[in-house]
Amino acid sequence: MGKHAKNGRDWRLGVLAIALALIVWQFIAAVIIRYPFILPAPTDVALAFVSLVAKGDIFIDLGTSLVHFAIGLGLALIVGIPLGIIMGWNRRIEALVDPVIELLRPIPPLAWIPFAIIWFGLTSFSAGFIIFIGAVFPIIINTYSGFRGVPRVFVEAGKMLGCTKDRDLVRYIAFPAALPSVAAGIRIATGVGWMCLVAAELFGVSNFGLGQKLWFYYSLHQMDSVVVYMILLGIIGLAFDMVFRSYVDKKFLKWRTGEVA
Amino acid sequence: MKSSAIMAIASAAVVLLLLVAGCTQPSGTSDTKTSKAPVDELVIGYQPSTHQMAFITAMEKGWWQQDLAPLGVKKVSDKVFPSGPSEMQAMQAGDLDVAYVGAAPFLTALSTGLDAKIVAGVNTQGSDLVVRSGLEYTGPESLKGKTIGTFAVGSIQDTILRDWLKKNNIDPDKDLTIAPMSPGDAVTAILAGKVDAVFLPTPSPSTIVNQGKGKVVVQSGEMYPNHTCCVLVVSGKLIREHPEIVKQIIATNDKAVSWNLQNPDEAAVIYATKTSAKLEDVKTSLAEWDGSWASDPNIIVDPVLEYAKIQYDLGYIKKSLTKDEIFDLSFYQKS
Amino acid sequence: MGDLVIQGLNQSFPRDDGSRLVVLEDLSLTVQDKEFVCILGSSGCGKTTLLRMIAGLDLAESGSVVLDGEEIKGPNPKVGMVFQEYSLFPWRTVIDNIAFGLEMRGMPKEERHRVAEEYLELVNLSQFRDSFPSELSGGMRQRVAVARALALDPVVLLMDEPFGALDAQTRNKLQIELLEIWEKTKKTVVFITHSVDEAVFLADRIIVMTPRPGRICQVFSIPLPRPRDRTDREFAELRREVLDLINQHCSIQ
Repeated sequence: MGKHAKNGRDWRLGVLAIALALIVWQFIAAVIIRYPFILPAPTDVALAFVSLVAKGDIFIDLGTSLVHFAIGLGLALIVGIPLGIIMGWNRRIEALVDPVIELLRPIPPLAWIPFAIIWFGLTSFSAGFIIFIGAVFPIIINTYSGFRGVPRVFVEAGKMLGCTKDRDLVRYIAFPAALPSVAAGIRIATGVGWMCLVAAELFGVSNFGLGQKLWFYYSLHQMDSVVVYMILLGIIGLAFDMVFRSYVDKKFLKWRTGEVA
Repeated sequence: MKSSAIMAIASAAVVLLLLVAGCTQPSGTSDTKTSKAPVDELVIGYQPSTHQMAFITAMEKGWWQQDLAPLGVKKVSDKVFPSGPSEMQAMQAGDLDVAYVGAAPFLTALSTGLDAKIVAGVNTQGSDLVVRSGLEYTGPESLKGKTIGTFAVGSIQDTILRDWLKKNNIDPDKDLTIAPMSPGDAVTAILAGKVDAVFLPTPSPSTIVNQGKGKVVVQSGEMYPNHTCCVLVVSGKLIREHPEIVKQIIATNDKAVSWNLQNPDEAAVIYATKTSAKLEDVKTSLAEWDGSWASDPNIIVDPVLEYAKIQYDLGYIKKSLTKDEIFDLSFYQKS
Repeated sequence: MGDLVIQGLNQSFPRDDGSRLVVLEDLSLTVQDKEFVCILGSSGCGKTTLLRMIAGLDLAESGSVVLDGEEIKGPNPKVGMVFQEYSLFPWRTVIDNIAFGLEMRGMPKEERHRVAEEYLELVNLSQFRDSFPSELSGGMRQRVAVARALALDPVVLLMDEPFGALDAQTRNKLQIELLEIWEKTKKTVVFITHSVDEAVFLADRIIVMTPRPGRICQVFSIPLPRPRDRTDREFAELRREVLDLINQHCSIQ
């Protein structure tokens, strides 16, 4: 009857849950708090959304943010995956690089803003850099632990079958074996990187962007518009994750146990 | 769960939603009980600008504590903010009783429901347009196509800058880029040569000039003569319940202003210590700025109403504000 | 063709206390072309180490492994191996697993798939051509592993307890199938096991090893004709003979 989605959950229950949450929110905002600065109601947010769409900026904001995100994630992939492969394959390099990574990783992307300004100015690249800081570490770590975790028997079987050069071992054996881990790293990085968007657009890199507008309306204390942009950020983050799960997992990782139909 | 039960819940929910729709209005003065509960802790918000030196002097010399203790205030503490909008957020959330803040951010907050009033002025003018070294400036025209870093939208600096550009036939949205950022980031940007100009309150311009990275080309008094900058804002609750405290706050502020004018060097040291600014930058800014400390709110009524109109025209606030909504002039007494 | 001459292999590892753990001591062995040899021994007797040296995966401290006059110094296309653990590449289909060695040789796709299909046929799994290893049972996976090792047409096939993880019924079935394949392909086989029953069923000769240090204790010839019958009296006698000798002479000191 189509009631049950592929993961077995009734999608109508999900819709009902969201509807109930909206009602509770409306009630608290309209009846209990009655101060739209402290808590704008869903109706206020909906009205703000309509007027923002009418203004038209929202689409440019979305495009601008996607550009910032693409720059950041793209850089993270270009730097993170090769570095993770080298670290996973060569223990001496891992021993050298790992302490540096562990030192840098806990520094929040927000703290890099002054350097972003000094090195890259007020450009999209600067915003992308902040996102890069958030996204690169999950990619490095998941990539090298994926490579580290390649079962030795695969490498030896490969050698017995004529795959002896290091370069070929990485390409034909280690990388495909590590791919689920690498994919997991990319998925985490996508989520973390998207969350850095608000920090990335805090310091005047552009007059557009979902994060930029969030701060813009915050400065004017128009919290209903702030919530609109918060929700947009959440929905798009969710969309990325869903695309990852359905497309990437299905296409590239269907050989994993239990996932083949 | 049976589908009929789901339908029943859904219908009830829709009905409930319709009933409460559109019921959100600022509750304004929601607490009508005028309890004369003593004020345990008074929290004053401020920004690290020499505009607000009076507050800092009084704080570091313990005058707030001293003068307000007889009125029942057990403790006075302060909170620092990088800019006006965030300071007003805190006041809206109830974290501040008193705020030294720019008039413009106060107005935007007022229009979204902040329960507070301006009871006195703090200073006029005092912001500079600094152009990075190496850039030629021959007039406002030189700014076309450039990027100017300044406070966030809705601040005094943003409001005055846009207004001045418009008066000089420059479209602030199309002919150049105004990049909103915190003052710290703005100074970083111009020191690194990554932004063409910044428009900031003192002492930041002196920091930039003293490092040889820029020159002051226009002072805010030139953009808008005698414009109001920072004002003294007090929460509606404090006004209603403890008018005597409000009176004393203004008096203490004035005491600090006089002392600062008579002891500028010592005042500079106090300021530099509290805010970790370079003493040299503070001294330069005091010597060079075009601002003055002025408490009489009556003389700023018209300029502030003018701001409200500008902000309304810019679309920053959604309704026009009246004098009585903005000011409470009863506390100030000409000394 | 598949003559394997192993001479004086020595291998040891350093212990924490500075002394050395001798894994193989002066081990010498000859395997004839097309012979099916089983290496029998308990855990720790060095049988896997010996096999890995024939494979070229490890190098001995001293001694040599010579195949048809050439010394083995590293993985060699003449030697194929079936590992104890499941070693099929899970991201490749069955046919692509079998064709892997051919792909490494540079054989174009159509040709290598054709060759691979022959070996798939040999292990009776043609209808699982496009399945992934995760879809196969343990026994099926090891059969594919055999096909993969044979696809490069090695002279010697090494097998390290390949049926150890399987249930008894599947094991017996696969033993019969392996003998059929061996008869068809005429490879030299070196097969490690710790089951006396399996060794007597499969081997021309049984090499019994003992641990600490790893060395050859006894060698048995099993002259029984194939196919062998486990219930046969001669089979049972031979099995008892081997077991007794192991317990008397070759048990752990």
